[in-house]
Amino acid sequence: MFELSTDACNIKKLRDGDFSAYNAIYLGDFSCPEYPQNFSSNANKLKEGLELVKSRGQKAYLRLYAVPSNHDMPWVLDLIDAALELSFDAFEVHNLGLLRVLQEKKSTVPVHLGVFGNLYTHETAKLLKEYGVTRVYPNPELSLKEISYIADNSPIDVLLPVHGKIPLVISETCFIMEHTDNSKPCANGVCSFPCLEDHWLKRGRDDGSLNDWSLKDTGRMTLSGKDMCLVEHADMLVAEGFTAFYVQNKGEADDYAGRVGAIYRAALERAFAGQKDADCTPWLTELGALSQEGLCNGYYFEGAGQRYIGRN
Amino acid sequence: MVKLLAPGGSLAMACTAIDEGADVVYVGPLGFSRRPYESEMNDADIKSAIAYAHANGRELLVVLNTFPSPFELPRFLAKAQLFAGYGAAGFVITDIGALAALRRLLPETALHVSIGSGISNARDTEFYRALGADTIILPYRWDVAEIAAARAISNIALEVFLFETVQTGKICPGKCIMSSYLRFREWLQVEQQDSFHGSANRGAKECYRVCQAAWQFGPSDAPPIDLRLRRDARLMLEQLPRFIAEGVTCFKLSGRERPLPMIRDLVRFYRKAIDSVQGGAVNLDHYAEELAELRARWVREKSKRVDTLMDRAASYAA
Repeated sequence: MFELSTDACNIKKLRDGDFSAYNAIYLGDFSCPEYPQNFSSNANKLKEGLELVKSRGQKAYLRLYAVPSNHDMPWVLDLIDAALELSFDAFEVHNLGLLRVLQEKKSTVPVHLGVFGNLYTHETAKLLKEYGVTRVYPNPELSLKEISYIADNSPIDVLLPVHGKIPLVISETCFIMEHTDNSKPCANGVCSFPCLEDHWLKRGRDDGSLNDWSLKDTGRMTLSGKDMCLVEHADMLVAEGFTAFYVQNKGEADDYAGRVGAIYRAALERAFAGQKDADCTPWLTELGALSQEGLCNGYYFEGAGQRYIGRN
Repeated sequence: MVKLLAPGGSLAMACTAIDEGADVVYVGPLGFSRRPYESEMNDADIKSAIAYAHANGRELLVVLNTFPSPFELPRFLAKAQLFAGYGAAGFVITDIGALAALRRLLPETALHVSIGSGISNARDTEFYRALGADTIILPYRWDVAEIAAARAISNIALEVFLFETVQTGKICPGKCIMSSYLRFREWLQVEQQDSFHGSANRGAKECYRVCQAAWQFGPSDAPPIDLRLRRDARLMLEQLPRFIAEGVTCFKLSGRERPLPMIRDLVRFYRKAIDSVQGGAVNLDHYAEELAELRARWVREKSKRVDTLMDRAASYAA
């Protein structure tokens, strides 16, 4: 009926979290190859992660590093070769150069275009199909109206993020390391993974408060401060014909994916069963409690990403 | 021959750049080139700029480097056909779907890949070449090793900004939508059309340079540090001889939003420098004093520009 997916960057995250609400898992952190035991950069961890996901009856998609430099290419190619020996259900690719690589390798593994692939139109979706792309993650700036149009006018699936922080910008270097106190170990270029602790970027008002602008930073990626939330709009998403939904889990606590997933599983099952106008208050209360900076709708309703518009 | 590409943020700037020796000027039509109103041009001015370039034996590129909405794609492509009909030599493009469509519609036109493509490796250049792009602009951070790698893998022509990197930090443009997450202007009220949802990437015209704002950063339970998210690249010079030796064929000066006298002086300066290198010079030390003065002017103007954009952002509702 529908697919609900999320992400897990390493085997620890996969073991410690509750992923029972999900049909599929995107394995790996596409933003930071240095992240501990990251599936996206540790070929020797792929088999274990894949088997655990499969043992749970879920699909496993492998995320490839989003911004590989020439220097990164050798290890990325080795990782792809190792992954091709296994039975991943898809590779998630953000980098166009890697689409060329997969095509040259005559890979038959379906490709999902990642968030930093910059998918804005149905014409781009049609073009990407020639590179084996079967699903696209629309750029977060697109409205639901535009995403629906793309889904209706292109030959490939559209993944719709329904909850979690929005990836806003990516970097090849670690912002946390660059700004860490010299007395700490990672100041010397050896990463001690300070990103395991939450880091926030905040811009204050003239009165000294820090409630004006707020973003979460995971080191090589900056995310929205607020959690994008569409639980109130599940009926509309179903009516629009979407069938693949995603919860963004990067940088969240171990219980986040489980608690959010359970809510969306219930909301979407109800919506697909035609039970309209569910009382969303308890869900919104719990989702709000999980978000440090509150909820937003992203760009789905044609406004600034941090705005929230409810069903009524 | 190595070409100097110069900005035309207005008809007057385009004509001045040509007068000062630019081989090619680039201009952006309203709503399609990631710049505010005052740095884009209406269709009539673009037609005039093309005529002026032709009259002086030069070329003009039209910047269509937004990611168009699916709803505005037909208008986007029609604009390109209009400008090609005026005699534009080519286009600066970011969106791969639009690029492939333009290659089909205008087989003879020159297609330059914009910095907004956010490439990170040589295989990316190969991807764009296979789509039909003729030239690709390389990221600020790339040096001769990356240029050589791109040359080895693809015959796409290489274009380089006249900047050198002095930073790491966030990738921009092309991989950043921070600005429109925080602030968003209702363009419907301004333009009687609402196809500009989102960041400058989409034609919303104003990136508010939130990366240049004063931020506080750190974990929740520790005193924050004050910082800016990125610093800007600075005008470069000493790299010119080795870049040309590695096969770079175009040098691009940015600054459509800068004051006209600044662009006039920069085009004059880089015309001299490029001619000097093409004449065999490998040491450009004698330009150091002039470069230092231009760098200082560049930074002053940049600072004013950022202040203006930040003030605008503050005036819009979240």
